[in-house]
Amino acid sequence: MNRNKGTFKKACVEALPLAIAIAAYGMSYGVLATQVHFSVLTAVLMSVFVFSGSAQLVAVAMLAGGAGVLSVLLTVVLLNLRNLLYGAALAEGLAPAKRWTHVLAFGISDEPFVLASARFKMVGPDPYYFAVVAGIFYIAWIFAALFGALIGGQMDPQKWGLDLAFPVTFAALLVPGLKGKPVIGTAVTAVFLSLVFEWIRPGNELTIILTGLIAPLAGLCIHRRELRD
Amino acid sequence: MINQLLFIGVLAAVTYASRLLGLTVMAGRNLSPAVRLYFNYVPAAIMVALIIKQIFVPSGGGHLVVSLPVLAACLAGAAAIKLIKKFLPSIVIGIATGLLVRFLL
Repeated sequence: MNRNKGTFKKACVEALPLAIAIAAYGMSYGVLATQVHFSVLTAVLMSVFVFSGSAQLVAVAMLAGGAGVLSVLLTVVLLNLRNLLYGAALAEGLAPAKRWTHVLAFGISDEPFVLASARFKMVGPDPYYFAVVAGIFYIAWIFAALFGALIGGQMDPQKWGLDLAFPVTFAALLVPGLKGKPVIGTAVTAVFLSLVFEWIRPGNELTIILTGLIAPLAGLCIHRRELRD
Repeated sequence: MINQLLFIGVLAAVTYASRLLGLTVMAGRNLSPAVRLYFNYVPAAIMVALIIKQIFVPSGGGHLVVSLPVLAACLAGAAAIKLIKKFLPSIVIGIATGLLVRFLL
């Protein structure tokens, strides 16, 4: 019992700073969702059932750009590939939860992965810690989305520049991750490829999927060259 | 409303499946480092494509035109997050810059 109490406290302390950052993203998502005609209810329901910042933001951005449902789903599948890695890496640490691992799987995403993998390295398997961390992030994500959707629904998008919020949000999400030549190479290749695809056929629905599939290969090539040098 | 709920349902299923598959099917398997790196680079590529598609928009004549407010907003937002490292203020700075450019044009 005391151990659980200690784990709970530790999880809260470590999750709180990240929960604030997640709430900021959640608020942006809520505002943006209302711009593609999601009601407050459906915007929040997406957060309740999907609970994935990147998937939700990309989905609403693509819908805003007029993309079809199929291309949105394919892009989200592509984005979700990294969840396979997170799940595989966390499997051992979550194993003591037995059949509850299927519930805990819902919490697998970037931030819980970072905190939980550090914790598992230190103290071994600890599904309770993961559950508390993911729970805090989940609550922060839902309430932030609700708040954002309530604000967004009251604003005139053009007057307040909410149409600009999509690209700015992605720029702000992208830039901190641009560390190291392989990632930068991937980004530069993605700029080139998406321009080519759009030039060939303006408004091309496949631009995002094809760029997402091909550009990371450039990052891999750069990584291999770095290893050789 | 029904369409949106269906969309949310499919999105939720696809996302949950990726999480569960990682935890069950992929666990214990030795993935090649190249595949791991590839998966890690995918989000950056998709975000870039999304940004480019909003900066370069199709005109009525089927050509691409640069949206200067969006370009300015992105550059300002990117510079702000690099300098101040705070998400929401960077978004506000980006949007304010884009609005200013839109007003001046």
